[in-house]
Amino acid sequence: MYAATTSVALVGGEARPVEVQAHVGRQTEAFKLSGLPDTAVREAKDRVRAAVLSSGIRFPNRTVTVNLAPADLPKGGTDYDLPIALGILAASREIPDLRRAVVVGELALDGAVRAGTNALGAGVLSALHRVPCLVASAVAGEAASIPGAMAFGVSSLAEAVELLRVGLEGRASARPGEPMSREDAPDLADIKGQTMARRALEVAAAGGHHLLLHGPPGSGKTMLARRLIGILPRLEVSEAIETAMLWAAAGRRRGLDTTPPFRSPHHTASKAALVGGGSGNPVPGEVSLAHRGVLFLDELAEFPRGHLDTLRQPLEEGVVSVARRGMSVDFPATFQLLAATNPCPCGFHGDGRRPCDCRPALRWRYRSRISGPLLDRFDLIVRVGRVEAGEYAGRPGEPSAEVAIRVEEARAAQIVRGQVNRRLAPGTDLLESATAKGMVAAGVGAALLTARGADRVRRVARTIADLAGVDQVEEEHMAEAIGLRGEWRDD
Amino acid sequence: MTEHRVMSPGDDDYPAGLLDLEDPPPLFVLGETTTAPAVAIVGTRRSTRYGMTLAEAFGRALAGAGWTTVSGLARGIDAAAHRGTLGGDGEAVAVLGSGIDVIYPAEHREIYQRILDGHGAVMSEYPPGTPPDRWRFPARNRLIAAIASAVVVVEAGQQGGALITARLAAEMGRPVFAVPGDVDRPASMGCNLLIRDGAYPALGVEDLIAELELVLGKPPRQPARAKGEIPATGVAIDDLPVVWGCTPAQALARLARMEIAGEIRRSGDVVIPI
Repeated sequence: MYAATTSVALVGGEARPVEVQAHVGRQTEAFKLSGLPDTAVREAKDRVRAAVLSSGIRFPNRTVTVNLAPADLPKGGTDYDLPIALGILAASREIPDLRRAVVVGELALDGAVRAGTNALGAGVLSALHRVPCLVASAVAGEAASIPGAMAFGVSSLAEAVELLRVGLEGRASARPGEPMSREDAPDLADIKGQTMARRALEVAAAGGHHLLLHGPPGSGKTMLARRLIGILPRLEVSEAIETAMLWAAAGRRRGLDTTPPFRSPHHTASKAALVGGGSGNPVPGEVSLAHRGVLFLDELAEFPRGHLDTLRQPLEEGVVSVARRGMSVDFPATFQLLAATNPCPCGFHGDGRRPCDCRPALRWRYRSRISGPLLDRFDLIVRVGRVEAGEYAGRPGEPSAEVAIRVEEARAAQIVRGQVNRRLAPGTDLLESATAKGMVAAGVGAALLTARGADRVRRVARTIADLAGVDQVEEEHMAEAIGLRGEWRDD
Repeated sequence: MTEHRVMSPGDDDYPAGLLDLEDPPPLFVLGETTTAPAVAIVGTRRSTRYGMTLAEAFGRALAGAGWTTVSGLARGIDAAAHRGTLGGDGEAVAVLGSGIDVIYPAEHREIYQRILDGHGAVMSEYPPGTPPDRWRFPARNRLIAAIASAVVVVEAGQQGGALITARLAAEMGRPVFAVPGDVDRPASMGCNLLIRDGAYPALGVEDLIAELELVLGKPPRQPARAKGEIPATGVAIDDLPVVWGCTPAQALARLARMEIAGEIRRSGDVVIPI
């Protein structure tokens, strides 16, 4: 006796259908599972049998064979528990055939259905193929939030069996879940002083510019960086879904969170952890977990240079290709790069209050760990100075919520023009006044800017004009952009 | 050209220091003289970047601290010192080895004009029209040594006018400062010799001013600094909005304009005047 149902595998952040085929034979009792299962999937056998028995349903005491097709696609995770159980029950004619349904969910030994990671993927397939999907109740809203999805939540295997025996026809889909946004992000109001760095952060947020902060240890680079999320625009629901799917592919549940993701991998992270990889089905790395959000590399110069160079493809194309045996998967990886670094190994170069112990050659070598092409990606390279104790005591900074309003408006202007300012290619008409153009030329003339530096400054000036709410980039905006640049060099 | 005047020993505004000379000469003067104590900044014409930077910084810092500076309008250290003083909005005195209407070298016309533009005086013991003959310069140096209450030698070779000025000043009991340099650098040889022979080593702007005030007391004129001006010791970039009383955005724009104009430069966390 044979039956099949459908589940989901995430490949490169995309949902692909997996047919869960179940066959109950006549031979003596056995349970075989094929289709490149990983350890978690292989253990489904034990969970499924226990959950079925706990639910008071007969588990066939014959040869049970389950295949996850396509059989050459590696499968992982616990989301196949429920479809395997239902497939077997359909094959043994306990419930009607449910070929036209997408099922995901993890089973507890008592028969409870737990939220796995792929509810969104189930929703996507449900909408795409116009079939119902069955997921854990806890995440039914998530699956239903995909436009066009018909999602049904169940909290136990018994409930699922009951539901399928009665039939899904005429039942209303679960209501789309409310997107949520975390409000617990650290606030800019906590930062005293750092007036210039705060401004740089605001401009970076508004234009989506990659930002490198450099300065002595203890100057608050990391504190500042962690406050970028709080002033960035919230994600659209579609973007939140896109991001959550990538997280699911990495085995993490993110939910319908419209807070842009913030990832800060440590400099000891492996290349695979950064850009994705792993044996079997490639798993997205930090660059993809940061998709639509921020990738923060603290202690940038401590990252192995080879690792940093792998960032160039995603920075340029917004995707990262991970090649593995027999397949190459593209993961979306459009992120804003935020980095912090000490100016030199000892950290005190340029700090007037403490001498730098590093030999110049050592400083140079430290800086050269970051390749020129990567440095060129940063539209904003900003020096963060040390705040003297007491200097700004009792003077709280502007709260994130107020900055976020300006950022939001500046972003809106860019979206009308078609793209975020970071992506403006050199040569694009940025609507600069003649005096603004003169200002750049003067900056180049005074050897403050290189040709490439001028392009960066012009993009930043465009964002400053957007923050000011005007169409044309004026001289004042250009001057501020030139003032914001703080190259990382000896002086 | 504006009218020059002649000052003689015994006149009220005749520089008091010159009376220490055996033969105080009458002086031809253009511009405004002060009786405030002056500090001479002298050095070689074949200066290095090191010397030029320091001479300019000293000129500016002394002006900022309220001292009048004296030098000889020559190439190199002299010119840098004058520029620094003018940049610091101070009083500069240029003592020429030619007539006061003969600008030598000619490319220093701008400095000369700015001094006469309300920033001090140009003087000489030679009548107008006197050409810049080499043999007159040592005599000019004795005037610089006498007018000044202290002499700072920024860079000097093993022989040269700056060393003559320093020796004459020392003989008249004026404190002599010298900026140390690499022992194998010809342009610093004279300074290092002066230090060996007992000159105060000038170890930087703040050190020099602190030492001067210790020896000579505070200058009578307190620094009159325009509001928002960057002091020679620099201002932290993050403090600019406070110093200038504007928003961070405006401060960044102003900073950029001043950088482009070459008025200031950044060094780590601070901006310093050039």
